[in-house]
Amino acid sequence: MTKILIVEDELTLNKALEEFLVEEKFEVFSAFDGEDGIKMAKEKSPDLILLDIILPKKDGFEVLDYLKLDKKTQKIPVVLLTNLESAEDIEKAFNKGATTYLVKANYRLEDIVKKIKETLKCA
Amino acid sequence: MDQKRQKLKKKNMQVINDLNLKKQARDLGVKVWQTPGFMFIMLGVIAIVIMSAVFLISQNYDDPEILVLAESFVVIVILIVGNSVISMVTQVTKLNRMKSEFVSVASHQLRTPLSAIKWETELLLSKCRRRVVGDKQRQSIENINTLSIKMTHLINDLLDVARIDQHRLIIKKIPTDIIAVAKDSIKEAQSLAKKRHIELALSAPRKLPAVLADPEKLQMVVENLLNNSIKYTTNHGKIELKLTKKDALIIFNIKDSGVGIPAEQQNRIFDKFFRSDNIVKYQTEGTGLGLYIAKNIIEQMGGRIWFESVENLGSIFSFSIPISKQKE
Repeated sequence: MTKILIVEDELTLNKALEEFLVEEKFEVFSAFDGEDGIKMAKEKSPDLILLDIILPKKDGFEVLDYLKLDKKTQKIPVVLLTNLESAEDIEKAFNKGATTYLVKANYRLEDIVKKIKETLKCA
Repeated sequence: MDQKRQKLKKKNMQVINDLNLKKQARDLGVKVWQTPGFMFIMLGVIAIVIMSAVFLISQNYDDPEILVLAESFVVIVILIVGNSVISMVTQVTKLNRMKSEFVSVASHQLRTPLSAIKWETELLLSKCRRRVVGDKQRQSIENINTLSIKMTHLINDLLDVARIDQHRLIIKKIPTDIIAVAKDSIKEAQSLAKKRHIELALSAPRKLPAVLADPEKLQMVVENLLNNSIKYTTNHGKIELKLTKKDALIIFNIKDSGVGIPAEQQNRIFDKFFRSDNIVKYQTEGTGLGLYIAKNIIEQMGGRIWFESVENLGSIFSFSIPISKQKE
């Protein structure tokens, strides 16, 4: 089963994503802050990480930096899933190694799953 | 050649707009005499007048003290007016920074609860499809979903307008299949069209060269034009979409038999927040931002948008997009 790690501090969003992904037959792990996200990425070795930017303890950009430095996690594709949409944030995310950048407000759950499958195919 | 002519026309329009103090005042939300343009003109006029006066004084008076006094006076006046210009520009810069901060805060704080509402209702609808749920409950959930999507679109429009005003709207330029974009847009609009018994028809060659565009933004423009046509066409009408190739451009037309636009208001149709009087009476819902955003998107993609319309007969909205020279 494909393993997805969700790093999202908003409980409702995290649970909605988790529920939908489980229905789509993914194995799902959840983290609610940046530090926990890094820890779970190292422990669970997910196939893909859904990462928010605004997070407690360490923000999404800091998490990306850690993930890309660590040999255990650097090859895991990271999909940034955020409501920030500035040119600077998008450029920063791709410069730090994000694979895809999705604005939550513009995507239905089924569209996110489509993007996950596309990303995994290319990885 | 057509593109070069368009670029030159755009530059000329920019110069005219920069000299258009009324437009500047409207855009900045200040009085005409408070605009930076007016201040610069006043500075220039005052400098010319005072320099002329100093010249005349120097012609009539040899006394060096009088000359120094006159020139000091010129410097003081220029400093005072220059200071006013700098204050005005500083105020405008501060307002722009506040707008930028609002955009950043709004994009996260408003969208986060909306995303949660949207996803929760999607989960509920997905459960509704699998179990037996009363029609009323299903309808209520669908209504919540529709309204949350509407709110998301409204916030997106307001954010796009703020970005356009700050020249920060991101437009990708990649080879895009415009026929696929048109078909997806029709698919999205089908339920609204069906409710109003309006037929949607697409006329396009089997294959067209890819255009250089941002696929998501292009779809936004097509959907906006299509939704306008549907909203403002009375029941049982027909809306025709057409795609054609002309030289190095793809031309998109959308023709409806809707309420049309009054002739005396047609020059304002692409203005921010503008909705023609007959539209407001016919349909109270709407922000008047769609066409403003659409025009900016198309122009940033190197295209042009225009329309023909007759009140009570209908409209034809068209835009052109350059064909991509890149291999797909």
